[in-house]
Amino acid sequence: MTRSPRAETRCAIGWGLLFALAGCAHRAPLDEPSEPPEGPTELAKHSQGKGQMEIIPARPLHRPKPMQTVVLPDATKPIVSFRLVFKSGSIDDPKRKEGLAALTATIMGEGGTKELSSSQLLQALFPIAGEISVQTDKELTVFAGRVHKDNLDRFLKIFTDVLLEPRLDPKEFERLRTDAVNRIRNQLRGQDDETLGKVGLDALLYHEHPYRHFDGGTVEGLSAISLEDVRAHARRVFTQDRLAIGLAGPVDAQLEKRVKDRLSALPSTGAEPVHLPPVPAVKGRTLILEKDVISTAISIGCAYGLRRGDPDYYAVAFALSFLGEHRQFQGVLFRELRERRGLNYGDYAYPEHFIQEGGTTLTATNISRSQQDFSLWLRPVEPANAVFTTRGALYFLDQLIKNGIPRDTFDVVRGFLTGYTRQWDQTDQRRLGYAIDELFYGTPNFLEAFRLAMARMTPEDVRQAVRRHLSPARLNFVFVAKDVTELASALASEAPSPISYPSPKPPDVLQVDKEIASFPLPIEAGSIEVIDSQAFMQK
Amino acid sequence: MLRMIALLLLTVAALAGAAVAQKAQQPFFPYPMRVEKLKNGMTVVRVPFRSPGLVAYYTVVRVGSRNEVEPLHTGFAHFFEHVMFKGTKRFPEGTRDKLLASLGFNDNAYTEDDFTLYHSFGPSSGLQQLVEVEADRFRNLSYSEETFQTEAKAVLGEYHKSAANPELKIEEELARTAFERHTYRHTTLGFYEDIKRMPQYYSYSLEFFHRWYAPDNAMLFVVGDFDDAKLMQWVRENYGPWKGTSARMRIPSEPRQQGEREAKIEWPTPTLPRLIHAWHTPGSTLEDLNSAIQSVLGAYLVGPTSPLYKELVLDKHLAESIGTRFYDHRDPHLFALQATLSDEQSRERVEVAFEAAVQQLLDADVDAKRVADIKSNLRYARPMSLETAEQVAEQLAVHAGVYGAPNALELHYRDLVKVQPGDLVAFARRHLVPRNRTTLALTAKELPQAQEGKPKT
Repeated sequence: MTRSPRAETRCAIGWGLLFALAGCAHRAPLDEPSEPPEGPTELAKHSQGKGQMEIIPARPLHRPKPMQTVVLPDATKPIVSFRLVFKSGSIDDPKRKEGLAALTATIMGEGGTKELSSSQLLQALFPIAGEISVQTDKELTVFAGRVHKDNLDRFLKIFTDVLLEPRLDPKEFERLRTDAVNRIRNQLRGQDDETLGKVGLDALLYHEHPYRHFDGGTVEGLSAISLEDVRAHARRVFTQDRLAIGLAGPVDAQLEKRVKDRLSALPSTGAEPVHLPPVPAVKGRTLILEKDVISTAISIGCAYGLRRGDPDYYAVAFALSFLGEHRQFQGVLFRELRERRGLNYGDYAYPEHFIQEGGTTLTATNISRSQQDFSLWLRPVEPANAVFTTRGALYFLDQLIKNGIPRDTFDVVRGFLTGYTRQWDQTDQRRLGYAIDELFYGTPNFLEAFRLAMARMTPEDVRQAVRRHLSPARLNFVFVAKDVTELASALASEAPSPISYPSPKPPDVLQVDKEIASFPLPIEAGSIEVIDSQAFMQK
Repeated sequence: MLRMIALLLLTVAALAGAAVAQKAQQPFFPYPMRVEKLKNGMTVVRVPFRSPGLVAYYTVVRVGSRNEVEPLHTGFAHFFEHVMFKGTKRFPEGTRDKLLASLGFNDNAYTEDDFTLYHSFGPSSGLQQLVEVEADRFRNLSYSEETFQTEAKAVLGEYHKSAANPELKIEEELARTAFERHTYRHTTLGFYEDIKRMPQYYSYSLEFFHRWYAPDNAMLFVVGDFDDAKLMQWVRENYGPWKGTSARMRIPSEPRQQGEREAKIEWPTPTLPRLIHAWHTPGSTLEDLNSAIQSVLGAYLVGPTSPLYKELVLDKHLAESIGTRFYDHRDPHLFALQATLSDEQSRERVEVAFEAAVQQLLDADVDAKRVADIKSNLRYARPMSLETAEQVAEQLAVHAGVYGAPNALELHYRDLVKVQPGDLVAFARRHLVPRNRTTLALTAKELPQAQEGKPKT
C-alpha cells in the first residue's frame, strides 16, 4: 500500500579535509550563552564575492539547572509522558569514534537493563504498551517514555533502569553497532538520496567543526568503538548536571519527586562540556555525490549567526515561511517550481536546521543547536533540469531579498503562522519538547512569543532582517546525481541553462524563465568536488 | 467495455436512514460521535474533542488504485488527488491554498489502494470558510489542460523521489507477482510508463471526477473544538447542493492461487537483502473477524515478543528487523511476513524459521498467553494513538474508507477483543498454505571492499 501524498572557513580547502576528522572540539568550563551579534552579522559584512571565508562566532546554548524539571500536569489524561533530555550529542563523539553518542543512547534504550535482557525488556513493555525511544542530535540526547497510568509503577522502574542500570551486553552491542553501520552503508548511501544530500550539506557547512559528521557516526568511527567506550561515555555524559526532566499527563508532585529521587543515582557530573569553536564558512562550495539514480536530489544552505531568541529570528522565519514552508503549498518555491513549472514534488526553505518528526510535517523538538543553518531543499528533479531548478530557487530567494513580501501575501503568511504554530504542540511529548527547548535557547513561552511577533511584524522588519541574514552568495550546494561530469561542467561554466516544457506555459512564466536560466550561480568552480556516494561518511 | 451501473445508496449499518443523528457513548471508541447522512447520500461524522480553538477536517472518498480498471491508466486516482487542488471558478488555482493558509490551516491529501483522504487541521475560527472551500471543490472542480499536464510532471517527480528506495520496487514486484487480474496488481503510484503517459488523459480526468467524486461516495469527519449546530448548518448549505451518484464498476476478481510464486529483485546499489512470504487473505469487512485476526496474527508471528524476533533479530542477528505486512483492504489482499536480512547468507535460515513458525500454528501449537498479551497491548496502545484531534479524525476516516461505515474504527476495536487463539490456527490452515504463497527475494549489489572509503579523484 503506497501512501502517496500531494505533497516528505576559510578559503577553499582541499576536499580531503571533509574526510578528515572533526578535530575542533575544545574543552572548556561551563559555557555561558553569549549575546547575539548586533547589527549586520559577520556574514552580512562579507557577503560579496565567492569563495571567501567568513567566521560565525560561537554562541553556546543556555544550560538548565541540574535536573531542572518541567511538569505539565493534566489529571484527565490516561497517558503519562516522560522526556529526559541530556545536554550531550554527537559533538561529544571522540575523535575517530564518531557515532559513540548515538550508539550509547541506542544500546541503553534497547539493550536491556541489569534486571532484564533486551528480550525480557520487550516482554515487559509489550503487554502494557510501554514506549521507550531515544533521539540523538548534535547537542542533545532524548530518552522519551510513554505509558498508561494503570501501569506507571512497573514502567517507571524499567524506564529509569535504562539510564541507571543499563545491561551493556556484548552481543547487543555488536548487534546494534552492526545496525548503525548498515544505516550508513545501506540506508543513507543506498536508498535515501534526500537525506544523503542533507548529510552532505552538514559536511560542507561544518567541515572543520564538530557538527561535521553524521549524528549516527561514520563507518570507521563506529567500527573503532568498544563496549568499554560505551560504558565510559554513558558515565561521562548522562549526568545530573546535563539533564532536564519533563513530565506530562496525570502527574503530580509525588511522581516528580519519585522520578528525581530515582535519577539522583546518576553521576552528579561527568565530562567537561565541549566548547564549540566558531564556524569558518566558505561560500560557493559544491559537493556532488555520485550515484546511479534517475533523478537529482539537491540541498542548498549556509551556516549563519541567527537562532531562536535573536531579535531577527522571527522576521527571517516569517520570510522563509513565505519562500517555502515545509510541506505546505503556499510557499513561493513550491508554487513557482512545482505548481507552475512541474519541476519536482516540492521545494522548501528553513530558518533553522530541520528534521521532520515522523508522521507529521513538523520539525522535531529537542534538536536545539548553538549553531544554526539556513537551507533550501529541492526534491529530486530530472537530471536535465537540475541546474535550472537550482537557479530558480536562487532567483526567488534573490527576489525576496530585493523586493520583500507583497502586502497582500504578507497577511497570508501572518495568518498562516499564527494558526500553524498552534498545531506545533498538540501532543504531550511535543509540549514537553518545546518547554525544554525553551530552557536551552533562553526563550520562555516560545510559541506565544512567536505568535506575538507575528502580530507585530511589518514588511519593513522582514525586509531588513532578510537583508542582514540571507544572500544567495553565501550558499553551499550538494547534489546527489548520476551524470556528474556533465553536472559539474554545467555548474562551473556559468553558461545559461534554458529549459523546455512538455506543455504550454503562460508568458509570465516564460519571461521569468529567461532570467532564471542565466541567474548567476554563486559556485566556486574550483571548489566543486565529486565523491562516490559509497565513499561518503566512511570516516 | 466497462460495465457502469449507478451505485445504490451506500448502505451504512450504523445509520437508521437519511438525516438521522445518533449520539451514544462508544465503549471501544472513547469519544462521543454524531453521524448524519445528508439527503444527497453524503455521511457527516462529528466528534467533539478537547483541542481548544482547533479543528480537524477529513474527507474520505472511496476511490483509490483499486478503482483503476482501465489498462494504461494505473496511478490515476493518486494523480487525480493532486488535480483536486487545481481550483474552481470561485476559487481559481492558488487562491484556495492562499485562503486556507491565511486562516492558518495545514492542508494536504493522500491516496491509498481503496480510498483518497483530504485533510485539513487548523483554527476553529476558519471552519466556516473551510467548509465553503472544500464543498466548492468537490462540487465544482475546474482546471485547464495546461494545469493538468504540469501537475502530471509533479507526480512523475513524486515517483522519482521514491524510486531510490527499494520499498517501491518491492511493492511493485510483490503486487505484480501475487495478483494476476485484480487491480491490486499495481501500486497506488501506478506503473512508471503509465505515469509518464498521464498528461494525455485530460478528458479521461473529467470522466474520472464525474465517476467517483459524488456525495454518496464521500464521508466527512470533523473532530475538535466546534459548534455542532453551526457546523451542520454550513455543511447542509454547502454540500447539500452536491448532486450525483458514484459509478459502480466491476473490479476483476483475483482467481484462487494454485501454486507457489516467486519474485526476484536485483537491487543495483548496496542495501540489505529482503525476504517476504506473502499469502492471499480475505478482504476487510465488518461481517467477520478476518481483519482482526490478521492484526493479531502479525504481532503473534513476528512482533517484538515473538520467538521469531528473539531468535532471528536478538539472539542470532540473522535479520536486522522482521515484521508483518498487512493493511486493511476492501477486497482480498495479502498478509505477509518480511525480514531485512543481515546478509545474503542468512536467507535460507530465515526462510526455514518463517516456515517453522507458520507450521507450529498449522499444528495448533499456539501460545494463549501471547495472544492475551497482544490484546492487552492493543488496549493500552489505543489511547496513545488517539491523542490529538488529527489522529482521531485520521483513524476514523481511514477505517471508514476501507470498510464503508462511519463507525468502522470502533467496530474494528471491538473485533480485536474477540480474537481467540483457535482463530489464528483456523485462519492459518485456510490461508497460510504453500500453494497460496508468494516469496519475494531482493538481493543487493555487493560492494567491492576496495571501493568503500575511496574518494573519487
